[in-house]
Amino acid sequence: MNRRIAIRNMALILGSAAVLPSCLSDKGKAVVQLKHLKIDADQENLVNNLTETILPKTDTPGAMDLGINLFVFKMIDDCYDKEHRADFITGLSDFAAEAKKQLGKSFNDSTAKERVTFVSGIDKKSKDEKYKDNTKLIAFYKMVKDQTVFGYTTSQYFMTKQIVYELVPGRYNAMFPVKSKATA
Amino acid sequence: MANLNIDSVKDRTFDAIVIGSGMSGGWAAKEFTDKGLKTLVLERGRDVKHLKDYPTTNLYPWEFPHHGVLPDDVQKANPIVNRCYAFGEDAAHFFVKDAEHPYVQEKPFDWIRGYQTGGKSLLWARQTQRWSDFDFEGPARDGFAVDWPIRYADIAPWYSYVERFAGISGNRDGLDELPDGEFLPAFPLNAVETYFSNHVKKTYKNRHVISARCAHLSKPNQIHLDQGRGQCQERTLCQRGCPFGGYFSANSSTIPWALKSGHCTLRPHSVVESIIYDDKKGKATGVRVIDANTKEAIEYYAEVIFVNAAALNSNLILLNSTSSRFPNGLGNDSGTLGKYVAFHNYSAHINAEYDGAKEWTTDGRNPAGGGYIPRFRNVYKQETDFLRGYACGFSAYRWEQNSSDGIGQDLKNNLVKKDLSSWHVGSHMMGETIPKETNYVALDKSLKDPWGIPQLKISVDYDDNDEKMKKDYVEQMTEMFTSAGFTNIQASTDHRAPGLDIHEMGGVRMGNDPKTSMLDKWHRLHACKNVYVTDGASMTSTSCQNPSLTYMAFTARAVNHAIGEMKKRNV
Repeated sequence: MNRRIAIRNMALILGSAAVLPSCLSDKGKAVVQLKHLKIDADQENLVNNLTETILPKTDTPGAMDLGINLFVFKMIDDCYDKEHRADFITGLSDFAAEAKKQLGKSFNDSTAKERVTFVSGIDKKSKDEKYKDNTKLIAFYKMVKDQTVFGYTTSQYFMTKQIVYELVPGRYNAMFPVKSKATA
Repeated sequence: MANLNIDSVKDRTFDAIVIGSGMSGGWAAKEFTDKGLKTLVLERGRDVKHLKDYPTTNLYPWEFPHHGVLPDDVQKANPIVNRCYAFGEDAAHFFVKDAEHPYVQEKPFDWIRGYQTGGKSLLWARQTQRWSDFDFEGPARDGFAVDWPIRYADIAPWYSYVERFAGISGNRDGLDELPDGEFLPAFPLNAVETYFSNHVKKTYKNRHVISARCAHLSKPNQIHLDQGRGQCQERTLCQRGCPFGGYFSANSSTIPWALKSGHCTLRPHSVVESIIYDDKKGKATGVRVIDANTKEAIEYYAEVIFVNAAALNSNLILLNSTSSRFPNGLGNDSGTLGKYVAFHNYSAHINAEYDGAKEWTTDGRNPAGGGYIPRFRNVYKQETDFLRGYACGFSAYRWEQNSSDGIGQDLKNNLVKKDLSSWHVGSHMMGETIPKETNYVALDKSLKDPWGIPQLKISVDYDDNDEKMKKDYVEQMTEMFTSAGFTNIQASTDHRAPGLDIHEMGGVRMGNDPKTSMLDKWHRLHACKNVYVTDGASMTSTSCQNPSLTYMAFTARAVNHAIGEMKKRNV
């Protein structure tokens, strides 16, 4: 699918998140419209590819199918403070550089499998306390992963197809046997 | 001002004016109009109609732009209201933003406000407990503030009266310190809440863990259906406004009821600048309003005026209502106006785990929030080195745990895991604070708000009594948790500013003696008998119950009195 059309479609899927293509003709510029973050098309692609690596299309939809990549941009642009946004940009560059070092080519040019290898390593480190604060790369990764997970678990797809979110429970059973829950 | 036209004056004249359309103002409106009195309700904010003006009420999480999270710029622009637990993407539109109504914090005070029809009754936590004589007799027994001019017997029938209409769920627990009311069925305690309740009953004399009493229609009666309200559907999304009218708010209940009577005029965008006092007549004749949009001043007149602007704004209006007779604020012969402000101390919490009741969980959601522990300290007699006491929230919960470990299919699998956590329990304190002359509000001498009205200066702080009480709460609750076999007990205290409890009270206190109080036993200004104050401002002391139910009962009782006086031509 043509990238521009793909992005338009994603914006439609996401619906409420108004991140619309800003500059479809300019190849070097990011198409996602952001208020604070300044990124180019390569960086935009990297984040898109990273969300898809974290949450790939399998027999169920992946991040790109669900527009989670756009949600991640929206959240980091709108809901994180200046310091976090700065870390995001620095960490994004560090992430790209580290990927190139380890994979011998850019993250965007790598295969899905190669990306998984690289991101798995980063994901493990992101849980290591020692890495918690000391690298912007990890800070960047955690922001993307957190928002990918948040966007996914609060998406219409997840809340209707994977779990059942009840807007109107209509009941409170204070004493409910665990056994019934397991079979519910 | 074009107030000379006779017809215009007639159009602006009512039997009663009610300042404020929230928890207590809504009740005043309902009671006056029920009796056929022509009533003007002035609301400083916009109109919020039940259902129609609840834009987020039926939204799913994914339908919010940020799935419920407020953008950083909104949070940064609102450091005060952002500290309120309910200020989220789903309800932010019902809160006053920090810049919209500035005030002066002589000491830190988080003033949380809702300027719209219904006020904060849209947003409240809906906990409703009666006071008892242990509360009304507190100041006299313990020697602080002044004696309340009323006792439980004065207010008990009015509690019943408002409870029947508002709809309060609860059990008849038979406790002296927390009188029973006219209850709809309670939301029951869950397995661990019940376990703890039984444990406490066995272990301690006079300590009780009961189902929280709350203003939810667990089983509506005809009077609730007549209001257009229906059964609570356990959504626990109350702060958005309830499409079922499942909880009591002025918007779903008293205000539409009053409007339906045909005797009520609701005027939104009406900031009351002051109450007009007529020296010759020796009484108030009306109010001066600034239209919030046009900034135009306009006067309205009535025989009787009810001040229900919410505690601190009721203070502000009286302080700003000066005349040659009352140079220091309306009815302020005693010099106590604005003083003896108090609040509730919510600054301690405790959490733990319980390794039992594993065969039980819950299903659905509990709008009551769980259990409630009525005050057990210093009830029958003084027994600690601090005055008064605290009530405690108590709830137990477990949840389906997932994990966000890994990436790819592993992550997808981890996110749909439904392993039940062990039981966790939590409690928070709700402490009585002692009203003091040094905790006060006053008008700032130079700063004005956007309507040209002096800004309110707030100077309210904790004291040593609060610190001792906080320590006692942590000690007692730790002991109760420990003896119940709870583990990993974590107590925490915070340094929240007063105000975040959203239970600010006093400043226009009731009392028998006009020399030391502002209001008489009917909530009238001692020195200006046709002005009544029946919201939180009128509180002589705070006890530790959630106060809204008491304001409702006060208001209904005071309106009944006012109507009697009007009939006798006493006002």
